[in-house]
Amino acid sequence: MPDWKQIVRRKVRVLGICSPEFTEELAAHLEDTYEALRCEGLQAEVAFEHTVGQIEGRCRVWLVMRFLQEELMSGFIPKVAVPALLTSAAACFSHRALELDHIPHRVIWLVGGQLPLWWWCLLPICGALGALLSQRKGGSRLQGMAASLLPSAILCSLVLLIFVVGFTMSGFVNHYQLVSARLESLGIVPPGFGLVPAAFSLLGAGIAEVSTKTSRLA
Amino acid sequence: MASVNAQIKRGSAELAVLTLLAEHPLHGYEIAKQIEEQTGGVLRFDMASLYPMLHRLERKSWVNAQWQTLPNGRRRRCYRLTASGRTQIAPLRAQWRAFFQALQRVTGFQNA
Repeated sequence: MPDWKQIVRRKVRVLGICSPEFTEELAAHLEDTYEALRCEGLQAEVAFEHTVGQIEGRCRVWLVMRFLQEELMSGFIPKVAVPALLTSAAACFSHRALELDHIPHRVIWLVGGQLPLWWWCLLPICGALGALLSQRKGGSRLQGMAASLLPSAILCSLVLLIFVVGFTMSGFVNHYQLVSARLESLGIVPPGFGLVPAAFSLLGAGIAEVSTKTSRLA
Repeated sequence: MASVNAQIKRGSAELAVLTLLAEHPLHGYEIAKQIEEQTGGVLRFDMASLYPMLHRLERKSWVNAQWQTLPNGRRRRCYRLTASGRTQIAPLRAQWRAFFQALQRVTGFQNA
């Protein structure tokens, strides 16, 4: 009899975020399927191929996607959207407050623009805030990460949308300069403005996750 | 046997599972097997559609799951309908009945 638990662990490694219980449940399903096929008279190799096919290729992709979708969307408003909104508000507020105080700052240059150094330092804190708020509402690790990433994801989507609209409206070769100028006039710097803050926020979410785990163990 | 569109299948899956579990507790494989047998293979659930749905029903507290050791020593996660889940069956049935009646009026098709 094949070691189905080991096979499931290897095949759906990407579901490391899911519980060992789920792995065991999938393994039990495969075990039953394999035995049923054997009882129908299939040879061991053929039955194994049929069974393992349920977590390979397209089936495997679907399983991962459906699992992540269910995981992310259960209690989306309290566990993801509200913490993400607060993360976003905290980032905007800190940016604005420090700007108003006219604190002299160094800037970091990104592709096409600049942002103050202190804001980068604050971003992991904002990301950690989102993840912790999500955890307090019973959110999973995935939902905590989503809460810290959602503001940047929305921003990236908006930047992309503005690019597409700008391209459609301008319709000529130098659309990039035109749209970039428009975005910079709005205080939005593509493309690092969305992606780099996302990485910094995610770093904060990771720190929050590790610190929570450490405190639980202690 | 004609295959069923994925969207229709997804919509009807919860009712099928809840109705089965109303009779007696079952584990995942048994649920998939019984639905396939009772529908003559028209409704067939693979792992990707069955387990995320069962876990969703569990989160909604419509079913609860417990590990049980079978006589052969194997552990299986058995799903049992809760009181809250039992109250969902009648409204779901009513929705599907209304849907089929509306479809019947438009297309003229008759139930067997």
